[in-house]
Amino acid sequence: MTRTLRGTEVDPPPEKPPARTGRGARLRYRLGVARREPTLFLGIGLVLVLLYLVIAPLVSIISDGFAVHFGDDFKAGQPVGALTGYYLWRVFRSPVSTELFWQPLVNTLIVAVGVTAVALVLGGFAAFLLTRTDVKGRKALANALVVPYMLPSWTFALAWLALFKNGRSGGQVGLLQAWGVNTPDWLAYGAVPIVICLGLHYFPFVLLLFGNALRRLDAQLEDSARILGASRGTVLRRITLPLMLPSLSSSTLLVFGRILGTFGTPYILGLPVDFNLLSTSLFSAVRSGQQGVTAVLATVIVMIGVAMVLFDARLVRQTRRFVTVGAKGAMERTIALGRWAGLAATGAWTLFALSVVVPVATLALTTVTITPGVFSADNFTLAFWTAEHLPGAPGFPHGVLRGTELWSAAWNSVRIVGMAALICGLAGLLIGYVVVRADRSPIAKVLRQVSFLPYLVPGIAFAAAFLSLFAVQRGPIPALYGSIALLVVTLAVTHLPYSSRSGISAMTQLGREPEEAAQMAGARWLTRIRRVVVPIQRGPLITGIVLPFVSGIKELSIVIMLTTGGTQLLTTLSINLVDYAYAQMANAVILIIAVLSFTITYLTQRLTRTSLASGLGG
Amino acid sequence: MASTAPTISLKGVTKSYGTGPLAVDNLDLVMPARSFTCLLGPSGCGKTTTLRMIAGLENLTDGTITIGDRIVDSVPDGVFVPPEKRGMGLVFQNYALWPHLTVRANVEFGLRIRKVAAAERRKVVDDALATMQIGWAADRYPSQLSGGQQQRVSLARMLAVKPEVLLLDEPLSNLDARLRLEMRAELKRLHEETGHTVVFVTHDQLEAMTMATHVAVMKDGVLQQLAAPLEVYHRPANTFVAEFVGSPPMNLIDTTTAIGAQACAYLRPAGDVATVGVRPEHVRVVTGPAPDDAFTFDATVKAVLPTGSSWTVSVLTGDTEIYLVSTEPVAARGGETLRCAVAAGSLHTFGKDGARLAGDNAMETEWAR
Repeated sequence: MTRTLRGTEVDPPPEKPPARTGRGARLRYRLGVARREPTLFLGIGLVLVLLYLVIAPLVSIISDGFAVHFGDDFKAGQPVGALTGYYLWRVFRSPVSTELFWQPLVNTLIVAVGVTAVALVLGGFAAFLLTRTDVKGRKALANALVVPYMLPSWTFALAWLALFKNGRSGGQVGLLQAWGVNTPDWLAYGAVPIVICLGLHYFPFVLLLFGNALRRLDAQLEDSARILGASRGTVLRRITLPLMLPSLSSSTLLVFGRILGTFGTPYILGLPVDFNLLSTSLFSAVRSGQQGVTAVLATVIVMIGVAMVLFDARLVRQTRRFVTVGAKGAMERTIALGRWAGLAATGAWTLFALSVVVPVATLALTTVTITPGVFSADNFTLAFWTAEHLPGAPGFPHGVLRGTELWSAAWNSVRIVGMAALICGLAGLLIGYVVVRADRSPIAKVLRQVSFLPYLVPGIAFAAAFLSLFAVQRGPIPALYGSIALLVVTLAVTHLPYSSRSGISAMTQLGREPEEAAQMAGARWLTRIRRVVVPIQRGPLITGIVLPFVSGIKELSIVIMLTTGGTQLLTTLSINLVDYAYAQMANAVILIIAVLSFTITYLTQRLTRTSLASGLGG
Repeated sequence: MASTAPTISLKGVTKSYGTGPLAVDNLDLVMPARSFTCLLGPSGCGKTTTLRMIAGLENLTDGTITIGDRIVDSVPDGVFVPPEKRGMGLVFQNYALWPHLTVRANVEFGLRIRKVAAAERRKVVDDALATMQIGWAADRYPSQLSGGQQQRVSLARMLAVKPEVLLLDEPLSNLDARLRLEMRAELKRLHEETGHTVVFVTHDQLEAMTMATHVAVMKDGVLQQLAAPLEVYHRPANTFVAEFVGSPPMNLIDTTTAIGAQACAYLRPAGDVATVGVRPEHVRVVTGPAPDDAFTFDATVKAVLPTGSSWTVSVLTGDTEIYLVSTEPVAARGGETLRCAVAAGSLHTFGKDGARLAGDNAMETEWAR
């Protein structure tokens, strides 16, 4: 029966023939495909929107630095709008350049180095304890030690003031001063407290990065060295540390980068002694309406930020070659602490106490005491929370829970950050979808990179750039300053890298088969998205929304420049109260934010059964 | 049942992923109605890409695909029918069941899309699950099932919407050996019962040999041979096919070697032979006088590898290593000399370009009776 089927004997492939079909027909075919398969259009749309939202603000702010602004024409000696080097001169060479740029730059470097050192020591210590030793209560510790990262970064600064503030700036003094201990300026304000406060906030960052790397390290690599006769110390020095170098350098540079854009802490602790960082200097330039100077400062911050991330990427790429992640890497390999056990556990819990319990308790205490440090019954009051009228407090003459300020700020926070988070989560998943579906096409590659771009730019510089772009009407887009839209867009764009990264990884893990299976079953695009892709990705989608939400609720450096009286958020309300020197009420607001952020994070982890600390200990 | 099963024909189908060599190069391929065609080749040969292009999941760079009398892809004419409108069924290598739906909901999905009434839906799903003997798992989730069970569900899901063309992308490669054997029989039975046009992708030549009515061997995006399985086995179109199909593979002996030259001299072929080929089971160990009509040679035993049902022997003649498979016990030990014989009709000849030589009539005597 098979005799009729003669083998078709094929000649070896001839020289590649020129395309048999003309360009026009091929284009028509491609369009036919694209019409049925919106991935391509979606990808192009996303790339265009992202490019506009990332590149346009940066172009706008950079060009702001080279054009004479209204009101500066006399000083610059050039007409408004002319190309000028005046702002460069003002920032880098003029008599005020020291105050505007050089001193803040030096201060930023000092603080960044200090914070990085503190975070590395604390985080490294904690990571080692949690991953490599039998310290008691590892699971509890692993959860406890990431809590500081869930608090707004400047919680520590306010707590610090509540403890160490002296009479130099207005308002109430701290506990120590109230008890008659004179706190010197260097301890109350400036570099020292900023380094300590930010160090306490950022060490969990190192703990997570470094701890995960430690855990994934293949224990066999260390075992082989031991078998070859190396001592434990030699193994640590010659094998473990070199292999940990990438994660170490990564966490160093990331913390360093964060310091560049951090605002709350240096504002609260630095301002009283005129200790400026680049971020606070940028803020004062914005507030005093110096557009040109703002532009130059923001550009410098962007450049440092970009250099940082590129340097990190380069380091990681160079070292990745020898990082081995073995299959048995997750094997438990713990060092018995023996007689050091008690000391180690005490150390770890002390760290928790210092970074969470003490600041939160201090803040809570201040909100119910009239005069700091006096522990008599008549000195305690709930007035700062609930009083209908607070005498002698113009601008905020009632407890924080009274009146409309807190509630409208809370509502603004929830809806603005909520919208931004929703956009982020959905955009993240869509980006992941396009990247996976359009795999191998250039659009996927471009999209992957463009969605990562905002990561290069410190938030505060981004805010300045957005302000520069959207302060006036541009084409069809109206002036957005003071609008909710501006806040939503800025928050969404700055948080997008995290969402898109998680979206891409979730979609990559899923692959395209489930959707293709639905396609083969006859489902159209919208049906596939609605009935297959979104339901399967529900978990990652929720996480992709909640994480930006939590981070946005605590966000200060981005929103501080963009809020106006009408768009007050919880964080800016708290800072406003600091400005008014209403310490109790500022602290009350920050407590509310802390509780909110902690609760949401905790609930999400519970509901989605994921954990920030997962992979650490236990 | 699927009496309307169509012919699938590919004409000049080409796929390029931008840079690098073409994934599929100017492929002309006709799969007759109700045939079971295996696309066979090593990984990266373009077989899965070809299947995905037939499904519509991958676009063409050039060429035309016709299903029955319907053009579903034509670059010259700018025609593209999306996968969901092609009415085909596809089973994925990793099954691609939807984790958020139960087995029943998975199978039901396509029927819901087609707006089939609930009662009818229930009946069709039950039938499909029963056909695949997986009815007991209807209310479970895919993650609660083993690989083999998931495979049955994914087949049931494909069959529920009654496609005329079944596309199978290495569906057995994630199963263990025993299950694979069972599913091979199952798939063959399914095809014989329903008469779908089936396209099956595999890199496993045994799978292709046992199930297919047609085998298309591919290499580097180029079709090497399309023929019935036994034809591919006994009349390989070139040295690549000869070596890829069969295990252990065909012995290919260069005619510049001593033994190659002898074989060539024995055959006295018409063309210019570069390679002589012989399947291991056609090399016989002779103990008595050499048979007529056979090419004989002496060789030294390198190793004897008994498999239980047969004996694979590696022998050396000069520098050339030759494998033979014997169903009779081979008692020889390493270093001993064996006398081997190959029937004249069992010798294949290939030219310089690797292609089978036209005058070669290997195996006419044995299998093609």
